[in-house]
Amino acid sequence: MVLVAPRPPLGPAPRGTAAPHRGSGRDVLALLRGDTVARPRFDPGLAGGLRAWLEDAAYGIVSARGDHAPAVFLGPRQVLGSDEGRPDGEGFSDALVLSRLVHALFRHLVGREDVGDPLADALHALRACGDDDVVQHVDALPASARQALSDTMALHARHLGDLVPRFAPGWMPRTDDRVAIPLAGGRVVLHGTFDLLVGLPQPGTASLCALGLTASGPWARERRSLHFLALLETLRSGAPPFRLALLESATGRYGVEDVREEHLRAIASHLSAWLSRGALDHG
Amino acid sequence: MADRLTDLLVAPVSPVDAASWHAALADATAMLARLAVRRAGAGPFRVTDHEVRAVLRVDGADRVAPSPFAWSARTARRALGLAAVRLLVAGGARSPVEAVRARLDESARWVREGNPCASRLDRWVTGLPPAGRAAVGAEAVTWATRLWCAVDWAALGPAPAVAIGRDRWWDSPHSALLALRGRAEVRTGRANLVVLSGPRRDSVRAELALVTLVESLRGRGGDAPGRVVGWWPDSGRLVRVEPEPAVLTLGAEAVALVLSDAGAALRPAA
Repeated sequence: MVLVAPRPPLGPAPRGTAAPHRGSGRDVLALLRGDTVARPRFDPGLAGGLRAWLEDAAYGIVSARGDHAPAVFLGPRQVLGSDEGRPDGEGFSDALVLSRLVHALFRHLVGREDVGDPLADALHALRACGDDDVVQHVDALPASARQALSDTMALHARHLGDLVPRFAPGWMPRTDDRVAIPLAGGRVVLHGTFDLLVGLPQPGTASLCALGLTASGPWARERRSLHFLALLETLRSGAPPFRLALLESATGRYGVEDVREEHLRAIASHLSAWLSRGALDHG
Repeated sequence: MADRLTDLLVAPVSPVDAASWHAALADATAMLARLAVRRAGAGPFRVTDHEVRAVLRVDGADRVAPSPFAWSARTARRALGLAAVRLLVAGGARSPVEAVRARLDESARWVREGNPCASRLDRWVTGLPPAGRAAVGAEAVTWATRLWCAVDWAALGPAPAVAIGRDRWWDSPHSALLALRGRAEVRTGRANLVVLSGPRRDSVRAELALVTLVESLRGRGGDAPGRVVGWWPDSGRLVRVEPEPAVLTLGAEAVALVLSDAGAALRPAA
């Protein structure tokens, strides 16, 4: 069953006006928690079957490229066509800068920290993470552009403040959990990063929830990115997250859905086809 | 994952032929004694898993001049995360979030009170603005949670029997300039767990052999140490290195290769 809780897109909040408390974080939390006794059990052979499928496709591209070609690293940007996070020809795109700032703010909120000045807090966080290039880019902006960015960040912060659940420490919330799955002896690596994972891994049971954050969508592509990550988690631990949530900070929209085998098979099929096309391109 | 990893940490170590083992240890010790380090600058040459990985890389990716070390959320996460897991195992915190927070609070207290325990890391993290400190904490929470959830800690035995985050060093008695580091995040009597990062690589067995070598050189009586288990949290992959004579040779040869690659001179023992 797919659980969806769409929220009508919200317009930009006027400057200086506090958005009304909508309590969406609690809604998201309730949807993530769901029925704890009905956590799905996935076929123990599912992960092995998916891996075998992808290994076949990966060996195709490796044989086409040659044994001594360097490893290919494939993330959502490559296999799903996401532009977010890609620098443009002249440096950082506005979308990339905003995405990095919003993600930094998101981690801040997951840690149950208070937000003062959203832009300043995000920049402090990025600086501590060694992400100096983005910080320098923002620092070099003209005053008007920086003010516009600050206003945009304030809007995203308001939405995130409403959307991000307050997780009890026992939920084991962890941000930026990287997954990297080597195929074909490590010559093809599928990788991605969960913005947020919660829950304790349990053998044989899908017991994790994954939350994805997007600053501006598009929604369909970001949802497929989450399916891609769910597939990688299946290959890593033998079971996918049982539920996914996607938060959109620009609008305050969110959606929650159960992970089903069809999602995993669909994204594996896409990947297999993508790798086969790559093999043909190099053939 | 917890089952597979824990099983490797508690399973009995395969028996080793004592005569072969002692002969290999004697050979490795002799090989290390023939190595001397001649470097510009003071201080010992420390051979760590990083140097082994760099020298054995075939694509030269690690051979670019390293940038100077700087503290960041990424470079601080292991130290903070290990302190957090140590606190969790000891029962001093109930979750990684609480444990990391406690460690950061401790840093702030030590710095404020001028406690000599305060390290450079403590001073760096305490000097950050709150949002920067929170980012460092978030990175450490993720690191600690992955390790905390990957092992069935109760199965490892009582807390005092488990050492967390204690790197071990072997200082060459033949050259005051040579020191070897065996890095392991978790040590039980039977095994050493090494948390790995980066891609799969051919050098990983040599990296883990260095741990076996250091344990063996430090050990009294020359008995074989526990197995070494390498674990990639990113992929869930495991690699294990049993204490076999060939592993000692592999480790010693890796050290020799590092020293020769670093420009250190090899000379016969005096």
